[in-house]
Amino acid sequence: MNNFFEINNVTFAASKKNKVNNVSLKIENEGDVICLLGPSGIGKTTILRTIAGLEKINSGSISLNGKVISSNKIHVEPEDRNISLSFQDNSLFPHYNVIDNIKFGADRNSRKTKKLKLDDVIEFLHLENIKSKYPHEISSGEAQRAALARSLLSMPDLLLLDEPLSNIDQNFKEEIQVKLKQILREYKITTIIVTHDSYEAFYLGNKCGIILNGQLKQFDDPYNVHHFPNSIEVVNFLNKGILIPATVVDEKTLENNDLGIINGDFIKHYPKGANVKLLLQPEDLEHDDKSSLKLEVVDKKFRGTNFIYTLKTQSNLLIPVFVHSHHVHQHEVEEKFGVKKPIHIDHIVCFD
Amino acid sequence: MIARINIWYLSSFLISLIVAIPIIMIFSSFFETTSEYSLVLKETFLSEYVINSLTLLIGVLILTSIIGIGCAYLVSFYNFFGANFFKWALILSFAVPAYIYSYSLGAFFDNYGTAYSILNSLSGNIISNSTIPKLDGMFGAMLAISFSIFGYVYVLTRTSFHYQSQNLIDLGKNLGFSKKKTFFKIILPSARPSIVAGLSLVAMETLSDFGSVSFFGISTLTTGIYNAWVTFDDLTLANRLSFYLLMFIFLLFTIENLSRKKAQYHTLPKSGFKTKTKINLKGYKSILAFSICFLVFFISFLFPVIQMSYWTFLFPKHFFDLNLINLLSNTLILVILSCSLLIALSFISNYGNRITKSKLLQSLTTFSISGYAMPGIILAVAYISFISFLDENIFIFENYNIKSFFIGSIFGLVIVYFVRFYSLANNGIKSGYLKINYSIDESAYLLGYSKIKTFKNIHLPYLKNSIFLVIILLLIEIIKELPITLIMRPFNFDTFATTAYTYASQDLLEAAAAPAIILILISSAFILLTSKYILNEQS
Repeated sequence: MNNFFEINNVTFAASKKNKVNNVSLKIENEGDVICLLGPSGIGKTTILRTIAGLEKINSGSISLNGKVISSNKIHVEPEDRNISLSFQDNSLFPHYNVIDNIKFGADRNSRKTKKLKLDDVIEFLHLENIKSKYPHEISSGEAQRAALARSLLSMPDLLLLDEPLSNIDQNFKEEIQVKLKQILREYKITTIIVTHDSYEAFYLGNKCGIILNGQLKQFDDPYNVHHFPNSIEVVNFLNKGILIPATVVDEKTLENNDLGIINGDFIKHYPKGANVKLLLQPEDLEHDDKSSLKLEVVDKKFRGTNFIYTLKTQSNLLIPVFVHSHHVHQHEVEEKFGVKKPIHIDHIVCFD
Repeated sequence: MIARINIWYLSSFLISLIVAIPIIMIFSSFFETTSEYSLVLKETFLSEYVINSLTLLIGVLILTSIIGIGCAYLVSFYNFFGANFFKWALILSFAVPAYIYSYSLGAFFDNYGTAYSILNSLSGNIISNSTIPKLDGMFGAMLAISFSIFGYVYVLTRTSFHYQSQNLIDLGKNLGFSKKKTFFKIILPSARPSIVAGLSLVAMETLSDFGSVSFFGISTLTTGIYNAWVTFDDLTLANRLSFYLLMFIFLLFTIENLSRKKAQYHTLPKSGFKTKTKINLKGYKSILAFSICFLVFFISFLFPVIQMSYWTFLFPKHFFDLNLINLLSNTLILVILSCSLLIALSFISNYGNRITKSKLLQSLTTFSISGYAMPGIILAVAYISFISFLDENIFIFENYNIKSFFIGSIFGLVIVYFVRFYSLANNGIKSGYLKINYSIDESAYLLGYSKIKTFKNIHLPYLKNSIFLVIILLLIEIIKELPITLIMRPFNFDTFATTAYTYASQDLLEAAAAPAIILILISSAFILLTSKYILNEQS
């Protein structure tokens, strides 16, 4: 079966030094959304620009709808690809007002039978009050929403969004994320989103790619990326847990000097007695005031729905733990904090 | 690299090459032999040409710095009666070409001239011609050129002063500086790049002046080039002299270019910018500031306008003898043809540079537009040399020579105008393009717009103000242009500039007044139309 979109062994080069090497990924179905995550300056935007045809490639190939659009011999011009890229910076035409800018998108695939309605997009992106304004009269967040509207209305075969919601106010952001996901699914708009916000990526993407040190390190379902990161680099990048030393006791058990026995299902088999680094995420530990395992609170962050306590072990490991913010009994810095024993983790992720 | 070569690349390359032809011709003159006149020239007049050119240059630089910086300082830092009026009124001096200013000086101070008439009517015929100072010769040329082009220093310095932050001045106050010390230690040094840029332009214009120096009979390198070609029919020598002049001009061009880069840095309001608070002048100080600005405005603009108007009214016959329709239609033909060609080719070149992003092409464009520094007379001579070379070596026909088509024709004239004013048009369009982010083009491509459609639907509407400005500036330049028109025009083809020059060269200044005043009035109208852009205060 042909994949709807495929990158086959392509090196994306923003400059001679800054490259993402030998990338291969595929989008099997039309309408799927993938998100690319990575630190700033790693080359995510270059990947989008190359897919859009704004940059050329020297090796490998990129194909869309079963047709090669980029290779070392073929380069379909950007205007002939039916790919739309919404830039991170303001790329609205400065001499047209917002509505005229948006209409440029609507004009593109006006013959498509199933297409988005201009008014609907304006409404969902809250652009009603700025329709007749010019780009220099609106904020960067508003410009970003207008550019997103233009790209969506163009109904491309492939939509590329570069940090599409980075400048948008927090109060609109979640609402727009929900509606955007709904629209992309309903109109089967295949999309690649570049973002630095992992929650946004996990919410919007059917799959997520993690780009680190010039390589696509992991390309998987958001759940797997979060719970089963495939390398220490990905763990460090996502910053959603810590690695602690442990020794494999048997097929379902590990032991840490400070935390004691830890039970669960290993994702990967390790021999008995092997010394490993165990991934411990904040949701893995459970608070229990009656537990004999007491750790010192060194920091407490209020995150609305929960607190994140940072606990210090005897050997000075700092471990994050989530506690629901409605929990009646709270602990302050330097107090002792009980952790339920024995610790049980559903999926045990370890690294050599 | 090969992938980048497309129709846009080739067109841009060709355009830049055409513009670069005069520069190439002048350099190639070193491989050709000259007539015996060159030896005679070396032993006789060459040193005089050089000394006169340098004397004129130094005099004009001193005068224009005093007038330009002084006026810019007054209107930028002080509020006084008429300050806002003088801010733009002082740029009207651009409407008076140096050669017409020279005619006005001649008409006023000559024996039995206007000064003589006025003084005698006031004093009862007791003033003799010998008591009236003669502002002619070298001093006359210095005055004429200075008052007609001090605007370059004024405009650039004023822009720099305009964007100077109040914080700088406050800093001086905090350090206990007096007003004088603040001016010399803070205000002037930070405007230095703009002043140098303005003075470099003044220097280039002075060295390329032909009308004034020929009117006052001063032998400079420019008149030497003209003589080598017209009197001694030695194109190679004319080109070689041009080379020396060009080297000097390129030096100034480089200084100007470097200064401009820095000037931009200094004048852009960055963060921490605080708008200046102008000081209100009262009493005698206000009168003094008004008087200085009015005097400069009067001498630079009102004086030639009044003198030329006076003679036009005094000798109306010459006005009615003018074939106005013919002169206007000739000017219009030149403006329409030149503007169309310049705008179209500047667009192709800019767009070509933009989409190919070729460094080679950009370097060639930069090299070719340095032709703006070349005096019109050099361009015309170099162009004629090039056509002669083609006629004698490449396009050899029995019954036809291409010279008749390219020299002494409107076509040839428009081509040399094209080379002369290409930098103005190209830079005007380029500055508009610089405001369009590349991502705008890319967005258009990604919305399915082809290169041509992007150009038509995105660039053209955006750049319409730039195009308008460029057309007006070209119009002003073409109306005032003298040496190229004089040399390249078809037989019996006249413009206001050539008519004024022809009469003036026959000592018929009263007849030159009518075409001169029409020229000044048309130019003034267009300068006023673009004053906001010239003063760099457009939104």
